[in-house]
Amino acid sequence: MFGFWKTWKALEAKGIMGINRRNADYVLKYNKRSLYPIVDDKIITKERAIAAGIDVPELYGVISTEKEIEKLDDIIGGRSDFVIKPAQGAGGDGILVIADRFEDRFRTVSGKIISHEEIEHQISSILTGLYSLGGHRDRALIEYRVTPDQIFKSISYEGVPDIRIIVLMGYPVMAMLRLPTRQSGGKANLHQGAIGVGVDLATGLTLRGTWLNSIISKHPDTTNAVDGVQLPNWDGFMKLAAGCYELCGLGYIGVDMVLDQDKGPLILELNARPGLNIQIANNCGLTLRTHAVEAHLAELAEKGIQETPEERVRFTQELFGHIHQQ
Amino acid sequence: MRALTLHLKILITILLVLGVSITAYQIFVIGIPVTEDATDDLWNIDAKVEFVANAKDPVKIQMFVPPLNRDYVSLNESFISNNYGVSVNRVDGNRKVTWSARRVSGKQTLYYRLVLTKRYSGDKTKVKGPVFRDSIAVDGPEKIAAEALLAPIRQHSADVETFISETIKRVNNLNDDNVKLLLAGDPSTPHKAQIIELLLSIAHVPMERVHTIRLVADQPQNPELWLRSFNGNDWLYFNPESGEQGLPSDRLLWWIGDEPLVTMDGGKKANVTFSLNNSEMNAIRLAKLTDENTDANFLEYSLYGLPLQTQQTFMIMVMIPIGVLVILVLRNLIGLQTLGTFTPVLIALAFRETQLEFGIILFTVITALGLMLRSYLEHLKLQMLPRLSVVLTFVVILIAAISLFSHKLGLERGLSVALFPMVILTMTIERLSITWEERGGGHAMKVAIGTLFAATLAYLVMSVPELVYFVFTFPAVLLILVAFMLAMGRYRGYRLTELVRFKAFLKADS
Repeated sequence: MFGFWKTWKALEAKGIMGINRRNADYVLKYNKRSLYPIVDDKIITKERAIAAGIDVPELYGVISTEKEIEKLDDIIGGRSDFVIKPAQGAGGDGILVIADRFEDRFRTVSGKIISHEEIEHQISSILTGLYSLGGHRDRALIEYRVTPDQIFKSISYEGVPDIRIIVLMGYPVMAMLRLPTRQSGGKANLHQGAIGVGVDLATGLTLRGTWLNSIISKHPDTTNAVDGVQLPNWDGFMKLAAGCYELCGLGYIGVDMVLDQDKGPLILELNARPGLNIQIANNCGLTLRTHAVEAHLAELAEKGIQETPEERVRFTQELFGHIHQQ
Repeated sequence: MRALTLHLKILITILLVLGVSITAYQIFVIGIPVTEDATDDLWNIDAKVEFVANAKDPVKIQMFVPPLNRDYVSLNESFISNNYGVSVNRVDGNRKVTWSARRVSGKQTLYYRLVLTKRYSGDKTKVKGPVFRDSIAVDGPEKIAAEALLAPIRQHSADVETFISETIKRVNNLNDDNVKLLLAGDPSTPHKAQIIELLLSIAHVPMERVHTIRLVADQPQNPELWLRSFNGNDWLYFNPESGEQGLPSDRLLWWIGDEPLVTMDGGKKANVTFSLNNSEMNAIRLAKLTDENTDANFLEYSLYGLPLQTQQTFMIMVMIPIGVLVILVLRNLIGLQTLGTFTPVLIALAFRETQLEFGIILFTVITALGLMLRSYLEHLKLQMLPRLSVVLTFVVILIAAISLFSHKLGLERGLSVALFPMVILTMTIERLSITWEERGGGHAMKVAIGTLFAATLAYLVMSVPELVYFVFTFPAVLLILVAFMLAMGRYRGYRLTELVRFKAFLKADS
């Protein structure tokens, strides 16, 4: 019991945020329930992002009824690679990634050859709500297939690594690079076994990583060091993330982005209840940073100033960036 | 934000003050007991009278009912009889009910129902009885046999009490030639009692027949014959078969005298069967029943004012918030992962029907089989509603099969399954399989065990009898509960499991 108390005090001193605090002080306080559909439905997120001029993987088309499946060929056009996703899917289920055409069939990223009918069946399954969380009807979206930047080749196993930035009222407070592993099956979700690697907000240099709640510094599949990697176009990521506040209106979100080798940073999706493992990846508590941002916000509110995304990025980079690792 | 916090604090304080003061008022001012210490046995006795009425004649049937003068309090007495006139009258210390009808025919069934409990009053009323009687006239060989029997009895006894028990012993010695002669080949208890009476009357010792019912639940029985005699101070009771003295405490005196239990005119084949069952009742409710017209008014506006059936439902209902509180603490303070929020409470409620061990086994078996089916259905790519319907039907079939099996094996427990909420099981299976797919088997296992653990704990807490009594008697406690829940709503501290989860931080430092 005494040991627990000591741990408690130590964690509190480091500003580690627990689920209760995240829910009470951030998610419930800053995220209006009525705005959730914007982040829960990838199509709405994308439409909003396009309207706000934020970069997202190009949307080729949306299929919302069985009848519209006929339009699939028109939507694909002559393209040989694309992604089909359920708009409200979770955990990466129901996503079909087509990498190439083979004769008059398609080839998925894993090399499986599938026919046109199989793709149509998959879309039909998505529409009936097979992959949506509540089981209700869903829509399918067909979009640009992201090709991860070459920089990630050495430190990821299959799949697409993504970058998660926690944004509080438009201020990016913490960042993490998520690398798929063999265990996570090419998915970038930490609880499925992906690695989370902290990222210095100012420089875009990677820090040490977390894998299944413990701290690591090498990728378990490729054994390459995951720390000290310079992420290209880091300021682009930061600005993209900061701009998401205006996009969705939710005050506390996790922004998931990818680095495409041709198009640069793109927003994949937003999360209204971002996980807490990012703290382990950064070896730093969230509460200290969020409190600093909240204090800054209170100060600005008194003066009646509103900062632009660029100013907000600069503020957090100065305050939280340039971490010296032992 | 600060205004909100203040608002919440005031609300919590109001609820706390209200809850505590109402409860304190009930305890200290009204004086309601805090624990349910005295529970009393409550006996429910049904006497079923069956007979065949003659077609033409008016029917009159008389039956003795307990006089209830000394050790028992009648809480409720009813005569269930359509079309019959009912009257009750007292005759010589007995009570007799008379049912009468002018024209009935065919098989008739009448009921007499009595609800009673033991009286715990210390003061004994003075009793009176005869101390002398005339001899019954006998002559011939019977007279000689009786005299021959009485001589050694006189020798072996000191007073009325020993005289009677000695007489009973002698009469029960069937090898004695004198006894054989007197019994004349009929060693039934009533006949023995008759001989005993004869012998005692010669010695001028009075004796009465007493017919009793044993207060034993769920056992078919007939009135048992006892003998009693008055020794000047009190009645002495004797068993005519064994000579054993003193009436056991579980005997209820039904009637006194030589007459049969039922007498009837205008019918035949009268037969009475008794069935008894007992239940417990706490002191408060008993007080309310026994002193209907005294000042039990204070209970009028408590949950005890409700009909008994409804009270039982409420006893379960008021415990649900307690179960929810357990889940709240387990989830938000400890950090246990469970399926859904209130699923564990629902499962805990289901455990009430099945008992704990059996409930856990049942839950595990059905959920495991259901998961197998669910993973098979996954391949068929069904829509949600049809899929759920299939799983639900499968669960019903499983439960039916388990019931049938356990019934054949003689395990009556299995039958309680029938009410195990199937929808809860179905939803559990569905959610568990979704968790399985999204987060892997290990996580699903963890969640399932967490759910079962939470349900077990909630069940155990919800079935603590003292707690049930307390919450039911002092429902204002629920306000205190709400206050605590409100406070929990703004709890920001760590969960116990997070201390383990974030241990990596502390290791990195040291």
